[in-house]
Amino acid sequence: MDRLSLLNFSDPSYQLMINLAEQLKLPFIQIQRQAELIAIDNNHNNIKSIEISASYALKLIDNYLLSLRLAQQKMSLEQEPVSIISVLYDSGQLLIDLAKEYGVDIELDVSGKFEPVIAHKKGLESALVSIGSSLIEAVSTQEGAKCRLQLATHKCRYGVVAGVYANNPNITTDLLRQGRKLIGNARQPLVNLTYSAGAGIFVADSILKAMSLSLKASRHHSLYGLGAVMRGSQQLQLV
Amino acid sequence: MTQILLIEPDKLLSNSYSKALKSVGYEVDAAKGSQEAIYIADKIKPDVVILELQLISHSGIEFLYEFRSYPDWQDIPVLLHTNVPYVEIGDNWQYLNDLLGVKRYLYKPTTTLQDLIANVNQVFLNKNE
Repeated sequence: MDRLSLLNFSDPSYQLMINLAEQLKLPFIQIQRQAELIAIDNNHNNIKSIEISASYALKLIDNYLLSLRLAQQKMSLEQEPVSIISVLYDSGQLLIDLAKEYGVDIELDVSGKFEPVIAHKKGLESALVSIGSSLIEAVSTQEGAKCRLQLATHKCRYGVVAGVYANNPNITTDLLRQGRKLIGNARQPLVNLTYSAGAGIFVADSILKAMSLSLKASRHHSLYGLGAVMRGSQQLQLV
Repeated sequence: MTQILLIEPDKLLSNSYSKALKSVGYEVDAAKGSQEAIYIADKIKPDVVILELQLISHSGIEFLYEFRSYPDWQDIPVLLHTNVPYVEIGDNWQYLNDLLGVKRYLYKPTTTLQDLIANVNQVFLNKNE
């Protein structure tokens, strides 16, 4: 039996890999073209853009590997009390450079009092950064209004949602459901949201699943977004 | 001056392609999606269109159908410059070429800026012959 026939093409991790490979073409093409441009116009400002594209690709690969390790339980889930506000703040910081490149403003909306949640901090941060990077690409194509992303949290009937939100009504439960069906089989599983493979969203989905959390489409005030639903800890609130 | 309509959804790539084409004297107007592209085409009357197939909501093929439905835009040459490999376009190439006026296919990952400029030059020359 050859190696190819041993692969299970319907395996979700294989489909995620195809999706990731498709996505990674984008930063590599960006790097290649920006490097060529330096030769043409001798403008070394493009070096910063190359760094940002490379860093985006590396972060995506890292987050994908984290999702695999968590899924294979090769990495222990060190659950700890996590302040959602600090995770959102740190995630926002990690997204700022990419957002600037795409002309997208990053905002933080953490008004209100939120108890800590029990979660895997690194996993949650990686999921939010992955979602954010996909949504930066998506909102940068919107016409008219200024492009912005909001990292926000709010309480819901299931617990607490931490997510990334945009002024884009195409971010719906149906979009996510369809995307999950099409991943690995379509170049643009989230065709109504993004021109790319949307790998950040699927990597986040996989990370959250491995942490027994779920990625859901949700609303935050008038914005639409994707977020992780977590249970707040009543005990920690008392500490 | 030759007007190019560049339909490229990725902002960073769009900037790179625009700068490269402008550096050799072309006027470039960029659109992120098909609706914006139709609006710009109406405004600038492009000489050449560079088109990515993977757009949001409406694909590049849908754009082509709409674009060619206007009598004034029947003869404007279109270059496909896309992430979709040729093998996936396959049998449709003849149709794209004959009926929708697509003059060239360029695979984005392997097309350098110089290749793109060379192809635009060639298409523009052929158009004027």
